[in-house]
Amino acid sequence: MARFADPHAMQPSTPGRTRTAPPQLPDDFWSRPRMRTYLLFDATGIVYLLVGLVALRVAWALKSAEAWNALLTSFANPGYLLFHLIALVSAIFVGVRFFRLFPKAQPARIGPAKPPPRPVLHAMLYAAWIGITVVLLAILGGVWP
Amino acid sequence: MRNLLLRLEPIIWLLFGAGIMVGTLLLPGYLLTVTLAGPLGLLPDGALSFERAHTIASNPIGRVVLLAIIALPLWKGAHHTRALAVDTLGHHSDGLVASLLYAIAAVGSVLGILAVLAL
Amino acid sequence: MADSPEARGGGEMRKRTFVITRFDPDKDQVPKTQTYEIPCRPEWKVLDALNFIKDEVDPTLSHRWSCRMAVCGSCGMNVNGEPKLTCKTSLADYGDTVEVAPLSNFPIIRDLVIEMDGFMDKFKAVKPWVIVAKEKAAEEGTYRQSPEQLAVFKQFSMCINCMLCYAACPVVAKEPDFLGPAAIALGHRYNMDSRDEGAAERNEVFRGEGTVFHCSYANECSEVCPKNVDPAAAINQAKLNAVIDWATSFVVKRGK
Repeated sequence: MARFADPHAMQPSTPGRTRTAPPQLPDDFWSRPRMRTYLLFDATGIVYLLVGLVALRVAWALKSAEAWNALLTSFANPGYLLFHLIALVSAIFVGVRFFRLFPKAQPARIGPAKPPPRPVLHAMLYAAWIGITVVLLAILGGVWP
Repeated sequence: MRNLLLRLEPIIWLLFGAGIMVGTLLLPGYLLTVTLAGPLGLLPDGALSFERAHTIASNPIGRVVLLAIIALPLWKGAHHTRALAVDTLGHHSDGLVASLLYAIAAVGSVLGILAVLAL
Repeated sequence: MADSPEARGGGEMRKRTFVITRFDPDKDQVPKTQTYEIPCRPEWKVLDALNFIKDEVDPTLSHRWSCRMAVCGSCGMNVNGEPKLTCKTSLADYGDTVEVAPLSNFPIIRDLVIEMDGFMDKFKAVKPWVIVAKEKAAEEGTYRQSPEQLAVFKQFSMCINCMLCYAACPVVAKEPDFLGPAAIALGHRYNMDSRDEGAAERNEVFRGEGTVFHCSYANECSEVCPKNVDPAAAINQAKLNAVIDWATSFVVKRGK
């Protein structure tokens, strides 16, 4: 129950004395739950690319009132709404996974500086996320100023 | 091509890191209002009128935030799409795929800078 | 300490079926599987079953093992598709059928034995030893290191080179140049060692052909590591250090 991995994976620089079989992967390597989550995480890259390009349209549309209103009207199309809903779910999925993995990627010290303990860092990340979201909701949502 | 990519890798990784961190922090607030609640008519009147939107976006901080929302997700997106391409297509096309994706991110970032300056 | 079968965790002997990869380079073009049905004691690990098969059923089966207590790193294999140390993997966690295959991503020498030299190449490339510009004279005494300085890298020094992380890593599967989890973790261990002065050299290796930036933080390596080395933490710390080293290399002139 195996498929072949890349034939050059882990090959030595000088061949051994006997013929070896090529490297293998289990048939279900890519479909196991953790691997599926990881592939989904990488696939959000496509969503982020599109979000950035659409945001570029938003900036362009601020040239004139007509362009702006036309853009907001087109954003009300089911296609755009679905895309942006997927984008929102992706951003939250990315944030949760990234915030879980980020603290352990901090070196114990960089020169004289030491990062905060991992749980503190975790809490700071979520506090920043919620705080920034609330501020953006208030400003862009017309509540403040 | 691979050698050029190797030499640029530190910068690309920094941009990707900024993209995933700052981009993800900013996206929910932006998406909920400008792309979902706004077009669905759930926001108070005038919240995203052209005048108000333009005022917010042309504010110096607004310009920086808008540029961040345009450019940073592009670098995160390019880097992760490249990883997905290697996982699915193998490493032989990596040079071409990576160059294409980072070129999109770079061009998008430059256009973003121009758009934000023109506000 | 009771010695009854119940105390040893379950009681009864149980017939289990093992589907084991076989490959003889003199006879086979590609690996195939062979099935063995054997009675298993309840407290057995997978390694006990393999040794029983080799001793009692089929002496031609080849597999690596040594300490049988998860410190030597010899017995790494795929058990139902997951990289495991077979001396540490209880049969009680499995059902009637257990698949045993050689470690993923490695060329196969024979049966369950994989070619390790590719790993040794990557291992040596990161210069896993303390590098100092000038050796301390014996009269000056030993290197001093506080417990805090040790704590910075101690976790990453616990690697037993079992290579389960290489079997689990999707980038190792697809990107042959990648240095891989254990090698990078070990290089990082030396970079963070207060006695070491070779970080600049190693960071050049980290930014070279085997670049640490190939790692896409799947975290699979840390999930399978039997010694809680957390290579994913080491690799991603190494990325940041490599970038800082790269940036400062423009400012600070490097001597040879």
